[in-house]
Amino acid sequence: MKQAYDICIVGSGAGGAPIAYELSNAGYKVLVLEKGGDLKEEDVSKDELAISRRGLYTPNLKDERHIINKREEDGSITRYDGHEYSWSFWNGSMLGGSSNLMSGYFHRMKPNDFKLKSVFGKVKGANVVDWCISYEDLEPYYEKVERVIGVSGEVVKHSFLEPRSTQNFPYKKLEENTVTKWFDKACARLEFESIPTPRAIIPRNALDRNACSYSNFCGSYACATGAKGSARAALLQKCNAEVITEAFVYKLESDASKITKVHYYDKELNSHEVTAKIFVLAAQAIETSRLLLNSKNKFFPKGMANNNSEVGKNLLFSAGGSGEGRFHFEDLDEVKQKELMQTGLFFNRSLQDWYEFQDDGLKCKGGTIDFLFEHANIISRASREFYNEEGKLIWGEELQDKIHKRLTTSRALRFEVFNDWLPTDECFVSVDEKTKDKFGMPVGVINLWGHPHDVKVGEYLAKKALEVLEEMGAKEISYNISAAPPPNLVAGGCRFGEDAQNSVLDKNCKAHELENLYVTDASFMPTGGSVPYTWTIYANSFRVADIIKKLI
Amino acid sequence: MKIKSRRTFFKTTFLTSLIMITSKNSLFASITPLQTLAVVQEDLFPKEMITQANAYAYVNLIFKHSRVSAQDKQFLRNGTKWLNEEAVVKYNKVYTNLSSKERQNILEIISNTSWGETWIKTVLSYILEAVLGDPLYGINKGKFGWKWLNHTTGLPRPKEMYI
Repeated sequence: MKQAYDICIVGSGAGGAPIAYELSNAGYKVLVLEKGGDLKEEDVSKDELAISRRGLYTPNLKDERHIINKREEDGSITRYDGHEYSWSFWNGSMLGGSSNLMSGYFHRMKPNDFKLKSVFGKVKGANVVDWCISYEDLEPYYEKVERVIGVSGEVVKHSFLEPRSTQNFPYKKLEENTVTKWFDKACARLEFESIPTPRAIIPRNALDRNACSYSNFCGSYACATGAKGSARAALLQKCNAEVITEAFVYKLESDASKITKVHYYDKELNSHEVTAKIFVLAAQAIETSRLLLNSKNKFFPKGMANNNSEVGKNLLFSAGGSGEGRFHFEDLDEVKQKELMQTGLFFNRSLQDWYEFQDDGLKCKGGTIDFLFEHANIISRASREFYNEEGKLIWGEELQDKIHKRLTTSRALRFEVFNDWLPTDECFVSVDEKTKDKFGMPVGVINLWGHPHDVKVGEYLAKKALEVLEEMGAKEISYNISAAPPPNLVAGGCRFGEDAQNSVLDKNCKAHELENLYVTDASFMPTGGSVPYTWTIYANSFRVADIIKKLI
Repeated sequence: MKIKSRRTFFKTTFLTSLIMITSKNSLFASITPLQTLAVVQEDLFPKEMITQANAYAYVNLIFKHSRVSAQDKQFLRNGTKWLNEEAVVKYNKVYTNLSSKERQNILEIISNTSWGETWIKTVLSYILEAVLGDPLYGINKGKFGWKWLNHTTGLPRPKEMYI
């Protein structure tokens, strides 16, 4: 058995690492158990084949899968085995978790995101609630993330700029592609408020990390310089917490009121135990609920912290979708052609004009639109050209010519819509006792359903994005808004709240039913806001770290 | 000499073992998937690029890859059988014995079937991986594919293959 620790943290991503950083720097004995492998800057490469096409950083679905129970429009359920259908919900299984692979589009949630029910009212079929903390409670921690993780950008006034305790970001915005000027002009003509997207990437050497190298391969790839504010580069490599990688925690043990130990398998499938005073779960939303549900004993026969049957409920994704428009050389002069093909520089632009909007006289919650160039992955881009304009599959010289023309004389500007995925009774995590992973543990089941309201809002926002692309002169404009869940934007399952009857965690993110169990990944979120989650996960974890420091 | 395990045996023979092509319930011919795939690759993308990409050898690597599923490998192999069966039905010859025009006709025919459309796209995807993947994998000779598309690859490049 591993010796006793003050804190044992399961998961090393954005939810777990702030606790490790804060508590170890405060002198406590901290252990982090990470299922994935170790990773250092010198290990990083931009190998498209390995990373984007063969899943280097995610488990093999043959060994570890999810079951997806998709609720159809008629109410029937279709069961998908994640392995059979190549449907993966894994993100980054490595030291620092998926924060290594994020694009780092960092937006704070807005004050009204914390009181969705009070401000916007009930939505039929959705379990919307107010948060048990306010924006004001979290603001100091958003600011802390800007300094410690490193957020770059430029604060500009706009209709939904959240209140800030500092005037600007601590790091100036990253170098931008000139096409952002086309975007800004188009927005000005449309009277839309163009916002430079804040990024969790530092533009200069700082924080004992190197500046961004503008490699052109950021999202989906780990950062080779340390500029990206991953939990690994920004926190775990900057503290003395002990980390054990390739350690899969499969069970929690408890008495009636406390977690007493965790059990984990190493890569040789040898089992180990760890004891600690406080345990923190941050294994990613789906996996945290799964671990709790798989940890049954006589005190918690339905799973740890689940005597009120709340664990796994109200699973959230980010609703919305994406779209794009394409710019062609034949529509541009030589100067603009060169601007279009600039590589490496960022296209950091967002719109939040419709974070809230009026529909038939009713105040509605909207969301965020981020704009970015299509990913630099060359194989993926070429593979999109298999069909001609008539929709016929092509090959040979016809395909060769099409790929060459499209990739050397045109470029697609994409957008991503982020709006609330309403929490419902039909979207939740459970476990499948009959389907086991390579560790012999029941796999997680994603019971999947998106509320129709989510698609309605996503459509509204996407059409605004299309206006910008049209105004910029893009062609081949298209979009896709659906209830399909983005696997990299998952939250909920262990919502926090004042009432133990309808929440798993209290306002400090401690389990109602246990004295020494905290959950600090995105599981705690009762609603997700209309922005990517990572900044909020980091901020909340720093908040909980302060609470634990006072208690321990 | 070491006795090959069943798994190793499977890996090394998957592409070279014979597939029986039947016609009207009797054996018509036997082919190997590798022979057929080599010809199909040149029919689906210009030969010069296939050669520079070393796409023939890349197929071997795909069949050995730990992260290409057994189903995907089997589908690639089965496709060569079905393609040949189609060739026998239409021309009474196996695919590799057809003229260039006849082979294109067969590809047109199967591209209008569900399996054929998916199979052609699968073969094309692996061709593009060989044309545009990192030369470390023994493909994209002299970075010709990246030069073809004026592509600047991300740095750092990989130091070892992931297979």
